Amino acid sequence: MSYIPERGSTHVYKVNKISKEEIHSMAEQCVYEQPPFCNAACPLKLDTKSMLKAAATGDFNKALQLYERIAPFPLILAAGCDAPCETKCRLKEVGDSISVREIERAVSRFGVGKKSGSVFKMYKKTPAAIFGSGLFSLMLAGELEKKAYPLTVFCEEGSPEEFLSSETEFLTEEEFESELMRLNQKDIKFEFNCDLTHTFFEEKRGEFTIVCASEKCAKAFFPDAVCDESLMIYEKEQLVMGCGSGVMAAAFGAKKAAVTADRLAQKLDPRNTRGDEGPAESKLYTDLSAAGSKEKIAVPPEGYTKEQAMEEAKRCIQCHCDECFKACAYIQHYQKNPALMTREIYNNTQIIMGDHQMNKPMNACALCGQCKVVCPNGFDMSRVCQAARRNMVSTDKMPNSPHEFALLDMLFSNEDAFLSCSQPGHERCRYVFFPGCQSDAIAPETVRAAYTDLCTRLDGGVALMLGCCGAIADWAGRTEMYEEQKAFIRSELSKLGDPVVIAGCPTCAKELREQDGIEVLGIWDILNEIGLPEGGKAPDRLFALHDSCGARGDAQTQNAIRTIAGKLGCTLIDTEYSSDRSPCCGYGGLTAYANREVAKEMTEKCLERSDAPYITYCMACRDRFAREGRESRHILELIYGTDAGSPPDISEKRYNRLRLKNDLLHDLRGEEPEEEITDGPIEFTDECLKMMDDRMILKSDVIQVIRSYKETGEAIEDGESGLLVCRERLGNVTFWVKFSEDECGKVTVHRAWSHRMTIQRRIGG
Amino acid sequence: MADKNYYSIDPMGRLKCHKCGIPLIKGKAKFMYLDNGFPVELPVCPECGFVYVPEELALGKVLSVEKALEDK
Repeated sequence: MSYIPERGSTHVYKVNKISKEEIHSMAEQCVYEQPPFCNAACPLKLDTKSMLKAAATGDFNKALQLYERIAPFPLILAAGCDAPCETKCRLKEVGDSISVREIERAVSRFGVGKKSGSVFKMYKKTPAAIFGSGLFSLMLAGELEKKAYPLTVFCEEGSPEEFLSSETEFLTEEEFESELMRLNQKDIKFEFNCDLTHTFFEEKRGEFTIVCASEKCAKAFFPDAVCDESLMIYEKEQLVMGCGSGVMAAAFGAKKAAVTADRLAQKLDPRNTRGDEGPAESKLYTDLSAAGSKEKIAVPPEGYTKEQAMEEAKRCIQCHCDECFKACAYIQHYQKNPALMTREIYNNTQIIMGDHQMNKPMNACALCGQCKVVCPNGFDMSRVCQAARRNMVSTDKMPNSPHEFALLDMLFSNEDAFLSCSQPGHERCRYVFFPGCQSDAIAPETVRAAYTDLCTRLDGGVALMLGCCGAIADWAGRTEMYEEQKAFIRSELSKLGDPVVIAGCPTCAKELREQDGIEVLGIWDILNEIGLPEGGKAPDRLFALHDSCGARGDAQTQNAIRTIAGKLGCTLIDTEYSSDRSPCCGYGGLTAYANREVAKEMTEKCLERSDAPYITYCMACRDRFAREGRESRHILELIYGTDAGSPPDISEKRYNRLRLKNDLLHDLRGEEPEEEITDGPIEFTDECLKMMDDRMILKSDVIQVIRSYKETGEAIEDGESGLLVCRERLGNVTFWVKFSEDECGKVTVHRAWSHRMTIQRRIGG
Repeated sequence: MADKNYYSIDPMGRLKCHKCGIPLIKGKAKFMYLDNGFPVELPVCPECGFVYVPEELALGKVLSVEKALEDK
């Protein structure tokens, strides 16, 4: 029996397969976390998308609160905003952009903002002063007040009304009153009727840590004053100042000036660590097919009503990229975007002691590459998970439990069930048929029929090779084992004289094609060339075609299958997720072994596309669909008129491989099998067989445990059930079997369970 | 380390060693996995030392500890 050593120590201090740079460059490909185009275009960093979402639901208060985060005086900003967001709105490509500015106005009019001030407000210890009036001074006053600076404004005007009216003549009377109320609620100390001369300035500036001025005042105090527009400062005098004209320049200038004030208050260089400022480009992808009405709602002279603003906000498609979420059950299961998932998987590799919470997710990916096709940027999650698995194996952190069963199954295929032989009468064959381990296990009669057909109709002889291509070891991240299996198949092909491989499985075809010097065709290619055998016909009904993930990017195979289906008389349904966009059935990447829950969701995802029976060209897909209760047929079954029937359990799969090998040896060489493949004198209850399939316990394991009992007599008598329980350690697993034995020694197995821990008797403490 | 009881040991005395023909008793045993050891008390044959791991224990606590250790 094959044995795979269990991983050793739990503490390994090395990470060698994934570099940080590599992971970062991979994560950057995912645009999920990119801002929507409107948010990115706004120099003030308004969360436009969220504001529109709130407005669309009629929650104008929430919308206003979002708007107030960037606009201390929302009506002024809404009235004077240049709305760069509207220029960048993606809806512009299919119609009118969203009237964000008009919605902002409506939100500012109809919403109730957050109450400012609190009895517990903590003020900064660095007093600030603003000299002069105008839009910049007003906006900056709002910003600094929000940041809790004890603020004094020195102005020439005689009242708050006069201060507010400077440069805000565009406001309606109603809007002016509203903004005046807002100004009066703010915690700002005013000194009116000041004579803003240089002497006055010098007299006062000593009382303040932060000193700011409008452009007009700054120029009056220092005629040579030049504003550094990126920092809004006249550096020589450490005077925060405004420049430019218009509402947007004032608002953006005030934002930058407030950051500069923070830096100065902390006695730090205002140039450093300012964060992202100003408009940016977004790389976000948006599916515009969701766009509804293409025309914006006309704006009446007095602005939108509440209802109109809501309707207009509803036109927003809430730009976001979820192409992989829509397509992939794995991403859906974990509800994490690929960039986040990638970072977490990388962080997982850096943990030396502690829980590795991403072990399960990285082993649950089907490595099928669907994400690479559906992602607008070609993000490939399988690359990340594959690298992470290899890293775990190479650092001795990969436990055997997720993949051991599949790996042992692969070794079984390439040892006990392996067969390589030439067609009788041909010393050297032109072809070799390689049906693939799943076909051998699930539909042995179909394999036998296909091989007989190929031998009959192809010239030059067709050899046969029953085995595994090695994909399982690759999926498990076991590089060494993968290389060994590839080398094994390679050498067996050499022994046959390097014939052209006729693969029966798209994954085998792909795996073998990647090796130098092996010429590979699919059986579908051959059958299209020589024609279908007589008698093959599909029932006259609709079928959904499920493309194999092994054939992703292989249009030739996908088309060949469609041609064959056409010849068989099938009417096929293709869906949005057909061809290269096809999801994995749950077998790929060993998900079915490592995480059954996710694998089941993957299968369901495949099946939700159509209610029709499915045609597949990978036997694993056929098996998983049938297990979910859906009628599914492999295309070879339709071609050869065979029916693999209900899905075999894990033990039958192994028996099927052995029986197929025996049958073919008999067909080809007339050899009689050494021993019949049966359970021997052991019976299993139906409940037990189902339990064993669920628990991945093979009949052969149980038989060995019973054999061991027969030799040693070691068992426990369970008085309650009247049954015996025996156990045996096989490889890395201890198997327990509950059984009854009649007087003739015939055993009936009732239950079976296993654990990976070893157990020993302890003497003393 | 204090022994932990995740399972009440054969309270009815219904378990018997088939080979030795005597009832199992509460005995000291040790689970080992991935270089970690856990002292436990389980039904043991006082004669031959056969340690019994019942189904509910194997699929319950033992499995959850295995999973936890695999993620360490």
